[in-house]
Amino acid sequence: MPSELAPLDAPAPMGRAKGLHPLTLLFAALDEGRALALPALAGGAWAAGGHMARMLVWVLVLLVIPAVIWAVAAYLAFRYQVTGASLVLDSGVWRRQHRVIPLARVQNIDLKQSALQRVLGVAEVHVETAGGDSSEAALSVLGIREAEALRAHLSALRVEAANVEEQERTLVARLSTRDLLLTGATANEAGIIAALLIGAAQLASELQLDLPLPGVDWPALVLEQSTGALVRGVVVVGLALLLLAWAFSVLGAVLNYAGFTLERAGPELHKRYGSLVRREATVPLERVQVIRIEESLLRRPLGLAAFKIETAATAPGKGQHRGAEAFLPLARATEASRLVAEVFEGIDYDTLQFRPVDPLARRRAFVRYSLALLVLTTPLVAFAGARGLWALALLPAAYAAAHLHYRSLGYAVSAGFIAARGGWLNRVTWVIPLRRVQTLHESATVFQRRHGLATVVVDTAAGGARVPNLRAEAARELLDHLAEGVVHPPGSEAHLA
Amino acid sequence: MITHEEHRLAGEMEVPRRLHSHVVWHWRASLLLGAAVLVGALLLLDRLADAYVPAVLLPVVVGLALVTVWVWPPLEYRSWTYQVREHQLWAQRGVLSRTTSVIPYVRIQHVDTRQDLVERALGLARVVVFTAGIRGAELVVPGLPANEAEQLRDRLAELAGVEHAV
Repeated sequence: MPSELAPLDAPAPMGRAKGLHPLTLLFAALDEGRALALPALAGGAWAAGGHMARMLVWVLVLLVIPAVIWAVAAYLAFRYQVTGASLVLDSGVWRRQHRVIPLARVQNIDLKQSALQRVLGVAEVHVETAGGDSSEAALSVLGIREAEALRAHLSALRVEAANVEEQERTLVARLSTRDLLLTGATANEAGIIAALLIGAAQLASELQLDLPLPGVDWPALVLEQSTGALVRGVVVVGLALLLLAWAFSVLGAVLNYAGFTLERAGPELHKRYGSLVRREATVPLERVQVIRIEESLLRRPLGLAAFKIETAATAPGKGQHRGAEAFLPLARATEASRLVAEVFEGIDYDTLQFRPVDPLARRRAFVRYSLALLVLTTPLVAFAGARGLWALALLPAAYAAAHLHYRSLGYAVSAGFIAARGGWLNRVTWVIPLRRVQTLHESATVFQRRHGLATVVVDTAAGGARVPNLRAEAARELLDHLAEGVVHPPGSEAHLA
Repeated sequence: MITHEEHRLAGEMEVPRRLHSHVVWHWRASLLLGAAVLVGALLLLDRLADAYVPAVLLPVVVGLALVTVWVWPPLEYRSWTYQVREHQLWAQRGVLSRTTSVIPYVRIQHVDTRQDLVERALGLARVVVFTAGIRGAELVVPGLPANEAEQLRDRLAELAGVEHAV
């Protein structure tokens, strides 16, 4: 049988340099298309019907053709092979890149599949390395059988090369189907917007709203329709799309995180999840720099939060690799203490005393919001005359927002840790061990200095946190305290002395 | 606060130290270059693109640029201090916005000294301290006499327990 007839995703012997699955081109095109879709739509709406449409087509063609050529060239240039105990990658169109990833240093081999990739039978293989020697490698995309064979092969080699021992695992958290439904349903604001739109549609149909939409000259499909029907149609379609997006968000969470299990094995966290293809990720705790607890607008009333960790490998003298990932996509906020303690030893999250920042933060936020409002009002007045001034009626709302902003800010210090909090729509709490702090900064803009305020910034190898608008003395005290804590962590001899 | 020269005599580590006053000329040179580019662009816009640039604008821009070039560097120089403390390097600077940076020695990855042409002519160098951080991960102490910069570099490398990159 001639080799051309062999199925594309048939696992081939490992020692040979191979290219990616041809469907790589499709996914490259989709990525490109996503970037171009919005400008194209905007341009299309603006140019629809007019002679500008032809120009737009030309612009798009001129953008698309080089992108296609580039994608094909990049696809053809990519080669991977397993030689000895290393994964070898060759890539690059202009500048050839040759990368050798020793499997002994591989931390994790991850298989990822989007819904579309699942349907088409392809997958991405992500190789994560430890020690910060090399950034992660991604093989996107391979046929599913090829991907699975590669993972099995690499895993076997890795165990052999690194002499990895399996440690006893303890369960940290598990997500039930109900949790997953909640995760998806509260993942974004689609639910709220859908509900609002249902209300708006109801109102519009009851009032027989007849909004004129200037400049819209839709093609023949809607030419016969009256403007009112058109508006209703747009609202209904928009609503349907939103509900669909929401349903997808729920479905996505359920499929994506199905059977989510987080375990602790010695100095590592392991998470496993995914329905059709099981995914595994390993996070060495020594790489965790920051825990971020995100309580979004939808989740806070339900007492729920997402837990994320920011990781970086900071082997001295070597390059770095950093990333942020969901450590637990959903958990009760009341569980924060246990979960934080699982990652950072020696912190009691529940006893953290969050201190407020200076009340002048409220005034500064109000000034900022008011200026934004003013900027918005100016064109309104220019177009609508004095009626545009009604926008200023939002000033009390700006004050309320400024107050909420001020209330949301806070910081807490405990032995060896700093925590900061902020955001009134989506509240984020950062927890940073001082032993992970790289640099500290205190800054004051000319406006802050006028009020005797300063901002303290805590930076780690994977992002950090800032505590804005403290009284200058409080800021300096915090800076001194942190500077001392970074070099003398609690428990060290110098600290005890 | 003591002057740079006084410090050299005192030879202490813990006092806040100033840059060398010649750094003002380095900054003036860089600012002058920036101002020249700005004015050049304005002239080019006027001549080539036939754009209407009001006749008063040019002298005003040139005047403002020259004043800035002259006045800003001394202010910046006055605002700059750094301090080699027991466990961290502290640096403070900024005329309008003030920033204090703290680099613990245990976090220093490597330390460099650098010199551009103007600095070489003035006999100055700057020390660049690298950490693994993301925001404000590098601290530059500019305007030190070349030999002093080397001393500081070696001292920081020693305190950090790393070799300096040559």
